[in-house]
Amino acid sequence: MLKNVVYTLVIITCLCSQAWSQPQSDLREEENIYEQIYNAPLKLIDGKSTTVLQLAEKKPLILALIFTRCSGICSPYLLQLKENIKSQSADATKPFNVLVLSFDSEDSVADMVNLAKRFELLDDNNWHFAITDSITGLIKSVGFHPVWNDNIKQFDHDALLVGINTQGFIIKKLLGMRGESDVALLIESINNEFIPTYRLPGKSSLFSCFNYDPKTGKNTPGLGLLFIALPALIAMLLLFGIRFVVRSKSS
Amino acid sequence: MENIRLKKITAIWIIAVLLLFVAAITLGIIMRLNQADVMHLNPAKFYEDMTVHGLTMIGIWFVAGMAALNFIMERYVKTSYSANLIALIFTVIGVVMLWISAFVGQFHAGWTFLYPLPLRPLWDSWAIALFLFSIAVLGVGWLIWTISLMAALLRKYSISQVFAWQHLSNKNPEVETPPFVLISMISLIGVLTSLLAAVVLLILLFAEFYTHGSFTNDPLLMKNLTYYFGHTIANEMLYLGLAVIYELFAEISGRPKWKTTWYVTIAWNLTLFFVLGAFLHHMYMDFVQPESLQLIGQFASYLASLPSAAVTVFSIIVAVYRTKIKWSMPNLLFLIGTCGWIIGGVGALIDATISNNFVLHNTLWVPAHFHTYNAMGNVLFSLGFFCWFSTQFSAKEVVDRMRSLKIALLIIGGIGFLAAFYIAGADSIPRRYSNYPSELAAGKSYALLGAVSAMIYLIAIIMFFVNITKRCLKMLFTH
Ligand code: HEM
Repeated sequence: MLKNVVYTLVIITCLCSQAWSQPQSDLREEENIYEQIYNAPLKLIDGKSTTVLQLAEKKPLILALIFTRCSGICSPYLLQLKENIKSQSADATKPFNVLVLSFDSEDSVADMVNLAKRFELLDDNNWHFAITDSITGLIKSVGFHPVWNDNIKQFDHDALLVGINTQGFIIKKLLGMRGESDVALLIESINNEFIPTYRLPGKSSLFSCFNYDPKTGKNTPGLGLLFIALPALIAMLLLFGIRFVVRSKSS
Repeated sequence: MENIRLKKITAIWIIAVLLLFVAAITLGIIMRLNQADVMHLNPAKFYEDMTVHGLTMIGIWFVAGMAALNFIMERYVKTSYSANLIALIFTVIGVVMLWISAFVGQFHAGWTFLYPLPLRPLWDSWAIALFLFSIAVLGVGWLIWTISLMAALLRKYSISQVFAWQHLSNKNPEVETPPFVLISMISLIGVLTSLLAAVVLLILLFAEFYTHGSFTNDPLLMKNLTYYFGHTIANEMLYLGLAVIYELFAEISGRPKWKTTWYVTIAWNLTLFFVLGAFLHHMYMDFVQPESLQLIGQFASYLASLPSAAVTVFSIIVAVYRTKIKWSMPNLLFLIGTCGWIIGGVGALIDATISNNFVLHNTLWVPAHFHTYNAMGNVLFSLGFFCWFSTQFSAKEVVDRMRSLKIALLIIGGIGFLAAFYIAGADSIPRRYSNYPSELAAGKSYALLGAVSAMIYLIAIIMFFVNITKRCLKMLFTH
């Protein structure tokens, strides 16, 4: 009997591990958090040289990665960032700078000056536009992986904002086009304020405990709560079921 | 014949538990030495050790309680030998699978394997499958055993009798429910519920695992289920040990057998109900969990533990106060174990109070309190049973000449080991750090104190192991 049980279990395990492939839910915003950012040297558009850590040391930093030839997400994403930041109420206790950095080695300081002009940010002291000769180390340290597409001569890349505190640690990452409230949380986080955040269950998650409506801020009970009640319920049913079965057997 | 088979299988359980206990303590000492900077393990290796240590400890002290319960239950009802054997086989297979998944496959998500960590690609994919199947194998074996013991009780006692409700209205009811039967049933239902929570948890993990991410889980649901299973089973295994104490303490001490009274009935019925809600105190930091559930967690923690602790302590005080007690190793271990259970319980209640949890959450205070009621509580309950069991059937009286030395080593080692956790916890040293950075350098000194003390504790355990195993082996190879 023992031999059969062992064989069955070994076969099941082998079959199951064969069939297995990694579930890759999107956890990229959580990668590299609390790691120090690569200290890349920067050439700023005002002609000065500095490094990422030196810049972050002055004020916490929001890093936006773009390239000037981009015909896709870069412009709308920078524009939205500008609008979002403009709409934040000025709070001297939560200072920050924005670093717009090109990840394209073809970009020059002049290209970045043009970009800053286009967005009317050339004279804004909180915004820094820069290029670097060490982009590989930097993008690796923040988990940003652009892929060059030779057919359309464009990078395929994410819209990524990286929040860095004054010690150079990556505190928060925002992927995709995000609203004002997310940017406000990012600013608070890089100023070392604890921000409780929770990844909302997506469409593929059928059984969440609560259904949260971001518009109203209301939580309603979800199907998942049933799963929490289930073990106690089945245990009680089993208790009565067992008693019923043993009593009918003995009578 | 039946009794001989039960005796032998209980002896096998005892040898297996003690063997794995020595191995798991060694892993614990290695972890403490690494935290003290005396050893230098790769962090992944530390977490493999931590995962195996935690799960092995919970597993062996659970089965130790079940084996003791099964053995004593035979005094009242007929139990199933096959279920006991199936549980033994499944436990051996499950433990081997678990150890392979960690030590060969490098799976190291901690004993709670909290979602989404186990499914992250940090270790070989086959190791995840093997780990989840190891838990499934253990769970199936234990479910069969639990249900069979419940059935054995329910064959003789009706539902109201098994919960001793007749004692609430009548001082001398027609059918008396012994405290052992009452506490066994209360614990078995808790065990059953926690194992069912594990089944739901595993089904959801497997679903995400095999649908390649097209089905994902809600982390809040998974955390609730994880602690529903983990916290509840860790609590219930203590109650299994207490059932044994209610049966054996008075008997070994030469005192009249404890009886079920109305207050014993109320206390343990409250425990049945509230222990199932106590796990909610693990969710205090989860701000998305509604506040009402957090409050339920706090009050369920109080109501699950305080009444049963009060009646147990009261019963022991009544049994020992100003009476001539025949002190022997088992009842000494029961007494010290009860003290450990109460001290650890107070530590747990401090942590389960919401305002304190903000300070103590995930600090070494947590391993401090659960090691108190395990290493100096539940382990001693079962050790007491092992000593009693192994001497029960010997022809001549067993004289333990090293009794005082063993007890002294156990207490000195235990207190030092636990104090190192408590002081570090109060000093805000976080738990589950393989190496303490310079900001937490004090953690290294506490870890060294913990490691040295744990070695003293281990010496005592090895002495018990040698004596008890010798006697159990003799029992196995004679008729
Ligand atoms: C002298 C004996 C023991 C030693 C030296 C020891 C040592 C340790 C250490 C160093 C840790 C990691 C603490 C941390 O978070 O930094 C740990 C965790 C743990 N121990 Fe023990 N322990 C012992 C006995 C026990 C006993 C008797 C039990 C249970 C019955 C137990 C159950 C656990 C559990 C469940 C964990 C948590 C593992 C995790 O976080 O995944 N230990 N132990």
